[in-house]
Amino acid sequence: MSEFKKIPVILDGDPGHDDAIGWTLAQGSGRFDILAVTSCSGNVGIEKTTYNTLRVCTLLGIDAPIAEGCPHPLTADVMNAPSVHGESGLDGPALPEPAMEVCGLTAVELMAKVLRESPEPVTIIPTGPETNVAALLLAHPELKPKIKQISLMGGGIAYGNWTPAAEFNILVDPEAAKIVFESGIPIIMAGLDVTEKALIMPEDFERIRALGNPVSDIVAKWLEFFYIFHKSIGYEGAPMHDPCAVMALIHPEVFTMKPMHVEIETQGEYCRGCTVGDQLGLSGKAPNAQVILDVDRKAFADRLVESMKFYGEGAK
Amino acid sequence: MNKYPVWLDCDVGVDDAIAIMALHALEETDLLAISTVSGNVPLSSTFSNAHRMNGLMKTNYPVYKGADRPLIVQPQYAYTFHGKNGLGDVELPLPEDAKMLDTPAWDALYDCAKQHPGELRLIAIGPLTNVAIALTKYPELKTLLHTILIMGGAAVGGNVTPAAEFNIYADPDAAQIVFKSGVPIVMCGLDVTMQAMFRPEDWDELAQTGTEAGKFTKACVQKAWAFCKSIGLPGVAMHDACPVMYLAHPELFRAEEAGVYVETRGSITRGKTVTDLYSDKQFETKNAMVVLGVDRDKFIGVLKDCIRKI
Repeated sequence: MSEFKKIPVILDGDPGHDDAIGWTLAQGSGRFDILAVTSCSGNVGIEKTTYNTLRVCTLLGIDAPIAEGCPHPLTADVMNAPSVHGESGLDGPALPEPAMEVCGLTAVELMAKVLRESPEPVTIIPTGPETNVAALLLAHPELKPKIKQISLMGGGIAYGNWTPAAEFNILVDPEAAKIVFESGIPIIMAGLDVTEKALIMPEDFERIRALGNPVSDIVAKWLEFFYIFHKSIGYEGAPMHDPCAVMALIHPEVFTMKPMHVEIETQGEYCRGCTVGDQLGLSGKAPNAQVILDVDRKAFADRLVESMKFYGEGAK
Repeated sequence: MNKYPVWLDCDVGVDDAIAIMALHALEETDLLAISTVSGNVPLSSTFSNAHRMNGLMKTNYPVYKGADRPLIVQPQYAYTFHGKNGLGDVELPLPEDAKMLDTPAWDALYDCAKQHPGELRLIAIGPLTNVAIALTKYPELKTLLHTILIMGGAAVGGNVTPAAEFNIYADPDAAQIVFKSGVPIVMCGLDVTMQAMFRPEDWDELAQTGTEAGKFTKACVQKAWAFCKSIGLPGVAMHDACPVMYLAHPELFRAEEAGVYVETRGSITRGKTVTDLYSDKQFETKNAMVVLGVDRDKFIGVLKDCIRKI
């Protein structure tokens, strides 16, 4: 893996099983230089996602400053998804207690510091609501040139999940998502169009477990827990929403992407949080996002499983 | 053969004209009357165009005049596709014996529905203004209609804005009244209608039959074809013929039951037909069959047979 120059990134998420698996992929791939990890309010409240962020980074051996994100969406009330992730936000296997603490800066301060100090532009991978990233853009417009791109999990061109028209991460903070999509920073959007096709099947859980390292065992249990909810609503496997945003940066070849203009509906009776994609060019506006529409599921699963081997290589 | 009694509400319109010919010729349907609405072109044109179709087909279907503007939003028209006169700028004569009926569309529709309780199929292929007014003025109407088959909306995408299709966008409030009415709805949106492509070889073949209807068919789609060709489409989508054909030949289509409601308040999604077809979150009520696919060749085959008979 050393033939690749590492991609400097900030991980921003609300772990959450699929956030945690996305970060497991990020660390296990060996392809990223993780400069900071920030928590955000989303799947569960900010105290829990911060605690989970510390536990996951401890488990994975991510040695980067960690900061707590904004406690609530920019203007909207807090909305959580405990039905999917359990009360702790990361129910299932026992995890190690945090071996580190948050760094003492807010997420926005930490992101700004990292961007300022980085010699090259940094990629941000938001896998929760866009609150922290929007707050960063509002507070530090001067740092925009230091953001190379934003590879996010959120939205859906064809449909939603939390409402018929809106996906959870965007629905939680549509105003923040609007700020991010209108920022002019290159965006890769991993929405439901692809993430619900990026299924990890029960047989894949076993492939991961069979790797027999301490992380792979926990990932297999996360997948089993995460799959309980999804199986109950008819899924054949566990949808790897957040890992898509990570995978898109290192294995774009497994995806089908289409550039288009994406706008966020912040109003409406049914459509608040809808990501409206201009597939036919009706708006006359230039594309602002690479929207991922499809995935080679088998290749995706293979690469995800492969990344878990990292944790069995010992002395890392 | 038991024919389905049909009321057609339309905004003639190139593909409306073709849908009218299909309804007239299909053995499975019994067209009782036509009402017209402001939509593709203003009401005065859609009303006279329905009469002109009577002239072309040598028929005497009663034609009623409906709303001259949407319930709440400002009217807008689709001249690029339908031409200034709504029939692709083909001049069809207004028949001398055309009966200019005074009864408003909604009153006439209600009277007709009372004569066919539980049986009348309402096919609505323009903005849903007339239908919404009828349902609002006569709450009983919803129990009298068998089905409302519409051309409008899209489960995915749009053609006026990225989120909205023309007929729904033109009067979203009316559409929401219809979707909330409780009458079973068949929605033929862009998902299926963009598959119902009428191609140059199809209209050439019809023109070569030498009939007035055949020659008119080719002539009236030319303006729309110029537009469709310019955006890379292989033909002209027969949007409005879809619900007509679905009624007569449902076996040619693929449809799924869903909850469908119309966004009337969005800033960029106004007029979007929000369906729960693919979403984890479902609406409480399944109020529509959303038509998603069609066997294009068989569809166009039946359509051509219809026009040949006229």
